[in-house]
Amino acid sequence: MRPRLTKAILMVPVLAYTAFSVGPYVWTAMMSLRTTDEIYKNHYGLPIPPHFWKFYTAWTEFGYATYFKNSAIVTVAAVVIITLVGSMAGYGFARRRFAFPLREPLFLLLFLSIMFPPQIMILSLFQILIKYGLFNTLAGLILVYVATELPVTIYLLRAFFAQIPVELEEAARIDGCTDWSMFWRVMFPIARPAVATTMILNFIYFWNEFLYAVVFITKQEVRTLPLAVQFLVSDQFFDIGMLATGLMIATLPVLVMYLFLSEWFVKGMTAGAVKG
Amino acid sequence: MPTDHANSPGLLTPTRAGRPWGSILLFLGPALGFYLAFIIYPVLVTFYNSLHILRMDLGMTYEFVGLQHFTEVLFEDEVFWRAARNTMTWAVVAPIVDIPLALVLAFVLHSKVPFGRFFRTVWFTPLLMSYPVVGVIWLWVYNYDWGMANLTLRFLGLGEYAQAWLASPTTALPALILVTTWMFAGFNLVVMLAAIHAIPMEYIEAARVDGAGPWHRLFYIIVPLLRPTMVNLAILDVIGKMKQFALVWVMTRGGPMWGTETVATYVIKRAFEWKTLDLGYPSAIAVLWFIIIFGLSVGLTRFLQRREALEF
Repeated sequence: MRPRLTKAILMVPVLAYTAFSVGPYVWTAMMSLRTTDEIYKNHYGLPIPPHFWKFYTAWTEFGYATYFKNSAIVTVAAVVIITLVGSMAGYGFARRRFAFPLREPLFLLLFLSIMFPPQIMILSLFQILIKYGLFNTLAGLILVYVATELPVTIYLLRAFFAQIPVELEEAARIDGCTDWSMFWRVMFPIARPAVATTMILNFIYFWNEFLYAVVFITKQEVRTLPLAVQFLVSDQFFDIGMLATGLMIATLPVLVMYLFLSEWFVKGMTAGAVKG
Repeated sequence: MPTDHANSPGLLTPTRAGRPWGSILLFLGPALGFYLAFIIYPVLVTFYNSLHILRMDLGMTYEFVGLQHFTEVLFEDEVFWRAARNTMTWAVVAPIVDIPLALVLAFVLHSKVPFGRFFRTVWFTPLLMSYPVVGVIWLWVYNYDWGMANLTLRFLGLGEYAQAWLASPTTALPALILVTTWMFAGFNLVVMLAAIHAIPMEYIEAARVDGAGPWHRLFYIIVPLLRPTMVNLAILDVIGKMKQFALVWVMTRGGPMWGTETVATYVIKRAFEWKTLDLGYPSAIAVLWFIIIFGLSVGLTRFLQRREALEF
């Protein structure tokens, strides 16, 4: 078969799959700009004229401002903490200089806990958070998020730090570097690509996390976006238009970032799966 | 394979002067603190709780009951077995659908389709949304009157197959499985595509020189070389589906008639929705499931990797 013809035939499944892949979201995006009355008249109409005011209404009257703020606080705080703690530990595990008895078994345990199902911790974490007054607080959620993503973060960063030749540090050491300035001034800057990868992975995970949030947050004013969406489904099930607007608010920040950094996102989110 | 310098000696290894305990504590202390306090300690508490009745309404009072919860889960709890069966079905069916789909999509993009990069980027987007968002969108897709699923069927003249997909115990679980396939297709595709690109061109050229046609090259050279990647993706898929919670919670709450109940949703239901107010019993379920997932992941990895070692 001629190559051009083959390509033309291949475009059929490609376009069909694309319709399947983005169809539901495009449909939601159109509904987000239409009122519920318009939608009930025709579910697949184009948003003409587009009702951009719906975003303002959702933001001010349906509490999305609060939920968005909560999600932003939790995500940013957890990403900052886990990036710092995780890269320090990644470096600590990657160098023989910082070895101590039981370090290797501990790392193996850390690695294995990537596979732990959350149920094995969630009920006792619930108990613990209540005991220490962290239940129904964003702080409690942040601490749990950092802890649950630490194993995979440390695993990825250790692998990266371990590739950096030791000679580099020896040169810096001769110039009089301490362990901390070695890490902060020499190693961390070199590891920036790997750090960025884990930051993206964790950012998406924290922004979208649902299981811990649903168990540890019961008060409306501390709900994060995924939690809010779940509650709004039951509260305003028939107000499809407004719900669609809410879904756009919950997804647009990530999708806009993805538009500009798609290669980084793809790399970050598949980092754990590709064996290095 | 990049070199691992983690154990290379050199000037910076601990000397007779002793270990740099201050630095060890500085670098590893915070992470280990988090890890022990929020993962290891809770895991141990869950094991301990699973041997007790733990009444939430009575100020978390403990009553030791030994292995009673475990015998009840295994021999009397029909809902647990239903949930376990649903979860296992999901974990087995998902990779059987997902991996071949990813393989096909990867080959299509690999054969230099125009705008390949664009399509890859687009197909990846569903993974960027949270389960609640995906759940709501697909509740609409499956709507009987105006959902995209039935609309497409009616458009294709298959209107008699249109139905309320989430309302029947027989179609609800397959409907949810399709949603996770939709979400993860881009992810599997990207990993698969990277693996295809990593195959040395010489292998394929050599086969071509030896007279292998495109189909032979595909099935006898490329697919076998992709096996390790497919195995990895399948394991990730199985383990991920064994933990499935959020999509079910948002879309069906385990219904209709336990048709989509998973072990993960059942644990949460028993803890917070049933009026037993006992954290011990769901902890026992969690412990059982933990042992199964853990055994399965270690077992699968070992078994599949040993076969690899034998074949190559």
